Amino acid sequence: MDDARITALALRARDGDRAAAGEFVAATQAQVVRLLAHLADPSVAEELAQECYERALGSLRRYRGDAPARSWLLAIARRVAADHLRRRARRPVAPAEPAEDDRPLGRAPQSDPAESAAVRDALAALDADRREAFVLTQVIGLSYEDAAAVCRCPVGTIRSRVARARADLVDALGEPSAQRRSG
Amino acid sequence: MTSSSACDACREAMSAALDGEADAGEHARIEAHLAGCADCRAWQHDAAAITRRARTGAVTPSPDLVDRVVGAAPGPRVRWRGVAARAGLAAVGLAQAVLGAVSLLGAATHAHHAVDPLEVLGAGMAHATHESAAWNLALGVAFLAGALWTRHLAGLLPVLGAFIAVLAVLSGLDLVAGRVEPGRVVSHLVVVAGFLLGLAVVRTVPRPGAGPTPGARRRLPSFGGGPRPETPERPATTAPTPWERESDVA
Ligand SMILES: [Zn+2]
Repeated sequence: MDDARITALALRARDGDRAAAGEFVAATQAQVVRLLAHLADPSVAEELAQECYERALGSLRRYRGDAPARSWLLAIARRVAADHLRRRARRPVAPAEPAEDDRPLGRAPQSDPAESAAVRDALAALDADRREAFVLTQVIGLSYEDAAAVCRCPVGTIRSRVARARADLVDALGEPSAQRRSG
Repeated sequence: MTSSSACDACREAMSAALDGEADAGEHARIEAHLAGCADCRAWQHDAAAITRRARTGAVTPSPDLVDRVVGAAPGPRVRWRGVAARAGLAAVGLAQAVLGAVSLLGAATHAHHAVDPLEVLGAGMAHATHESAAWNLALGVAFLAGALWTRHLAGLLPVLGAFIAVLAVLSGLDLVAGRVEPGRVVSHLVVVAGFLLGLAVVRTVPRPGAGPTPGARRRLPSFGGGPRPETPERPATTAPTPWERESDVA
C-alpha cells in the first residue's frame, strides 16, 4: 500500500472513521512490529507495537497530513522503542529470551530460518544509530528523506549511517571475497 | 591504497547507489574509482549481496493488532455523544445567558423606580440583584465557551459543583420558609443541566494527554514542511515527542 493511501486512511481515522483506523493499522502493523523488533527487542515487539498504536491513535487529532502518515507513525514507534530501552535500563531484569526460532513464524517467512537468524544477529550487533538507519531504509524500505524525517536528522546523516552499517555487515556476514585480500 | 578516504567516499556513494539515492555525478565517480580499485569492486559485490539478504532475510512474524488497538480507541458512537453533549451545553449556555441578561435588564429598570428597602453587608438590594444577574450571565458565557473549547471545561466543573451544592441547600431552606417563589428555584435547574452536560462533554473528550496541554510547547519542528537544513551531524535524539511526555502513555 502506498504512502498516499496510508495517509488518506489516517486522515479519515482522525475524523472518526473507525473502519479506516482498522485499515490504517492493518496496512502498517507489519512494518511497525518489524521496526520495533529491530530497535528494541523481538520478544516485546508486539506489545510495543500496541503501545505505539495507542499513542498514535491518541494523538491522531493533531496529525495534519503534511508528512506521510507512515513516517509519522514510525517516528512514534521509534520513540516507543527508545522509551522501552530507557525503562529497561532503569530496572534491569534478566529478560526471558524466548526461543524465537521455535515459534511458528505465521505467514511471514519464505527464507531459511538459519539465514534470517544470522542476518538478525548481525543487525542486532550494529551500532544503534547505524542499525536504525539501515533498518528504516532496507528492511522497512523508506527513502533516505523519509528515514531522515523519522529520525529527525539530516538526510546526509542517514546516508553515511547506512553506508557504515553496510560496511559493518560486510565485515560480519561477508563472503570470503569480502576479506581484504591485499591487506 | 585500501581504506583510503577515497575508498570511504566511494563506498558511501556505492551504498547510496544501491538504494537509488546517488546522482549521475556520483555514479561517474564510482565508476572512475572502481576502475582502479579491486577492493572496492569486491566491496560493491558483497554489499549488494548483503543488502539482498538483509531485505529478505530479516523477517519477523506479523501479528494482527487491529482488533486490540482499534477496539480501544474511542469510536464514532462516543464521538457522536460528545457532539450531542456539546450542542446541548451550548444551548443551555445560551438560555442561561439570556436569563442573566433579562434579570440584569429587570434589575436595571427596577432600580430606577424602587427605593432600596434593604441594605445587606454594604450592598443595597439593587446591587445584590446586579451581582446575581452578572453571575448568571457569566455562567452562560462559561457554558458557551466550554462547549467551544472543551479543554477548559474540566476546570469549571468544581466551581459549578460547589455553587450548585450550596444553592440547593439554601434554596431548600428558602422554599420552606417561603422566602422564594418556586419559579425562581426552577430557573436554577438550567445551571444544573449545564453542569451535567459539562460532565458528559468532559467524559467523551479524549484524555488531555492526547493533545497539547496548556503550557506544553512544541519542542521540535514538524517534519515534512519546507526544506530541511543540512546541519552537521547531530546525534539522533531520543527526546520525547513534541508535546508528549511519558505520562501520555497509559
Ligand atoms: Zn577503493
